[in-house]
Amino acid sequence: MSEEQPQRPAAPTKAARGQEAGGKAAAGAASAAGRAANKQPPAPDPRVLAAREQAERLSQAVVEQFGPEAVLESGAAHHKPMLRIVRERWLDAVDYLRTHPDWRLNYVECMAGTDYADRIEVVLFVQSTELGHFVCLKTQTPRDEAWLPSLVPAHPGVNWEEREIYDLLGVDFRGHPDLRRIMLDDDFVGHPLRKDYSVWAETERPLVDGQRP
Amino acid sequence: MRTMALLDEANQVRTEEMLLNVGPQHPSTHGVFRLLVKISGETILDADPVIGYLHRGTEKLAEDLQYTQIIPYTDRLDYLAAMLNNYAFCHAVEEALDIQVPERAEYLRVILMEMQRIASHLLFIGTYLLDLGAMSPFLYVFQERERIVQLFNEISGARLTYNFMRIGGVKYDAPPGWLDKVRAFVPFMREKIKMYDSLITGNEIFLDRTRGVGVYDAETALAYGMSGINLRSTGFDWDLRRKKPYSIYDRFDFAVPLGQHGDCFDRYYLHLLEMGESLKIVEQALEQIPDTGPVLGKVPRLIRIPAGEYYSGIEGARGELGFFIVSDGKDKPYRLKIRKPSFVNLQLLPRLLRGQNMANLIAILGAVDIVLGEVDA
Amino acid sequence: MELNADSRLPVIEYEGLTPEENMELRRAGVLLQPLEQLKAWARSNSLWPLTFGLACCAIEMMGASASHYDMDRFGIFFRASPRQSDVMIVAGTVTKKMAPLLRRLYEQMAEPKWVVAMGVCATAGGPYVRSYSVVKGVDQVVPVDIYIPGCPPSPPALIYGLNLLQEKIRREARMRREQA
Repeated sequence: MSEEQPQRPAAPTKAARGQEAGGKAAAGAASAAGRAANKQPPAPDPRVLAAREQAERLSQAVVEQFGPEAVLESGAAHHKPMLRIVRERWLDAVDYLRTHPDWRLNYVECMAGTDYADRIEVVLFVQSTELGHFVCLKTQTPRDEAWLPSLVPAHPGVNWEEREIYDLLGVDFRGHPDLRRIMLDDDFVGHPLRKDYSVWAETERPLVDGQRP
Repeated sequence: MRTMALLDEANQVRTEEMLLNVGPQHPSTHGVFRLLVKISGETILDADPVIGYLHRGTEKLAEDLQYTQIIPYTDRLDYLAAMLNNYAFCHAVEEALDIQVPERAEYLRVILMEMQRIASHLLFIGTYLLDLGAMSPFLYVFQERERIVQLFNEISGARLTYNFMRIGGVKYDAPPGWLDKVRAFVPFMREKIKMYDSLITGNEIFLDRTRGVGVYDAETALAYGMSGINLRSTGFDWDLRRKKPYSIYDRFDFAVPLGQHGDCFDRYYLHLLEMGESLKIVEQALEQIPDTGPVLGKVPRLIRIPAGEYYSGIEGARGELGFFIVSDGKDKPYRLKIRKPSFVNLQLLPRLLRGQNMANLIAILGAVDIVLGEVDA
Repeated sequence: MELNADSRLPVIEYEGLTPEENMELRRAGVLLQPLEQLKAWARSNSLWPLTFGLACCAIEMMGASASHYDMDRFGIFFRASPRQSDVMIVAGTVTKKMAPLLRRLYEQMAEPKWVVAMGVCATAGGPYVRSYSVVKGVDQVVPVDIYIPGCPPSPPALIYGLNLLQEKIRREARMRREQA
């Protein structure tokens, strides 16, 4: 099993581009994609296929442990394998993959929250320093009553990132040791990175003692 | 500093904990950074960093800007290493669109990035020593930094916020004679690094204040997501220029200096060593750079990224600098998230400070090498 | 001793004095002036700014005070405490979170005091004018004497701005006498 693991994580992009038979074609397709943004390039990129395949294996690992309802979707985020995990299993799955002998996803690179029309999505780019995997784990929460389990018990390094997401997107991270606003004042109203937040609404708030609270 | 000592009935000295507020306006916090420290006598019991005094909402502003328009905002994130920020963003967009960058532009970028790294590390050394009470290195570093800044000024027209890189290349070709000036700068800087080494590294007071101070191991650093010199000082070999070569870094021969003890001295010394390695890269790039050629690749006039999610990180001056772009197929990002190395590196600070002497606070904080513009975004 | 051209003292133009005043000082060795004006002259030549770097402009401010541009030439010397300083160079973006603290620091400074808004962020919000967390100009919080445009202004621009502030201090004292 472990023999078949794709051990070429982030192949040097420059070299990969040169070696690929369709390197030129891909570049051409990209500029075409630039012109007609929403049209899919005709031939599937081999890097995307490899990512999908890896995501499938990642999905199997999670499903084996937590059951099929834990994984919502597996696919590719650009050229990286992507796995969407249900929020109730978010901490368990991330912690499981952190210690799983085939994956060992121990080093968090980036955590980001995005506000969509129907959900708030939190993305975790995490990699393995030993095995070289680089994957994108996702979870999502409804916009009203947005909560997610905190990842701090598994990765203490996301402490401030979660505080930032709480501050700017209003996601309540349950089990976070110190969930306070980090960037904005404690009495700031609203969560600016939400799409329905208006910069100007804030100046319309009434004056208190000649100053806007 | 005031220590509250109260005498009780038995005439025995009783001490009380006190809260000390360091910052946000404090000469040693490198910007508007506030640290609430709970101390008992001279010992730090707990520390609570308060950030956000420079939060300018770059990520929200970027949602209303076209991709090219975002580049000047990246200048102002980590304003000590604006070229690297420019590059990180352009690289993320180029990766998303598979844009090929002309050879000469790649070399110019590498030269500029490595010079920027030197300028940034120089400023770290100057301000770190200033924090520790040595005034003169600060005055020295600004002379060398000024030379780099002048060179940048010649090629880009700005001293600090260059806005020089473009998606698919760079804005201008180097002016005539510019590369020769850089060529002359390399041996000059090499001499200066030797001078710094002999001026600072052996200093007994400096060694006393930094050796064995603020120690952590690689495991902790990885768990806290640290990157850059803060991670390498523990001896963990992790340089994105090597691990995931981007641009043309696979063509150069350079070493990745590693620390041994994970203390403040190692972090200082790695900055010094990395400057030497950057000079090596600049030297090789100057040899290999093609004499002529375009500096801006074929890029659509209106840059639209196909719907999807893209992340790409580079080795910035302070650690892994990444841009995460969510696109919905329009010419503006749906969401732009910046992976800010100083922001992540700073998280370990309370843990490092606990139990330390109050005088070590500045030594530990300074060695993290933060830039508040980047921490707060 | 014979007084000839070689033994004459070199001509010194004192900073901050008008040509007439300089000539008067050279001729008589004494300069009679109202106290206000002399105080302004002394103050303008020993401006002590508060180290108040907020953002990118702070680096250029550091650059201006460091070896290459050397603001000490003008008697401009950075102090870390508001109690000891009389100029506040607001170098960088003022956020809503920082504004109350900036106001407090301004109030802690002893009179007379001046404020220099360095860069477009401090002047009017600059590139961040549409941001939700940025104050659109420091003049909404404290009164400003000199605005220096630029993003960031180069050290020569900062030095020029501070020279203008010196000029302003001296001229104000002179005008006060004329008004009285």
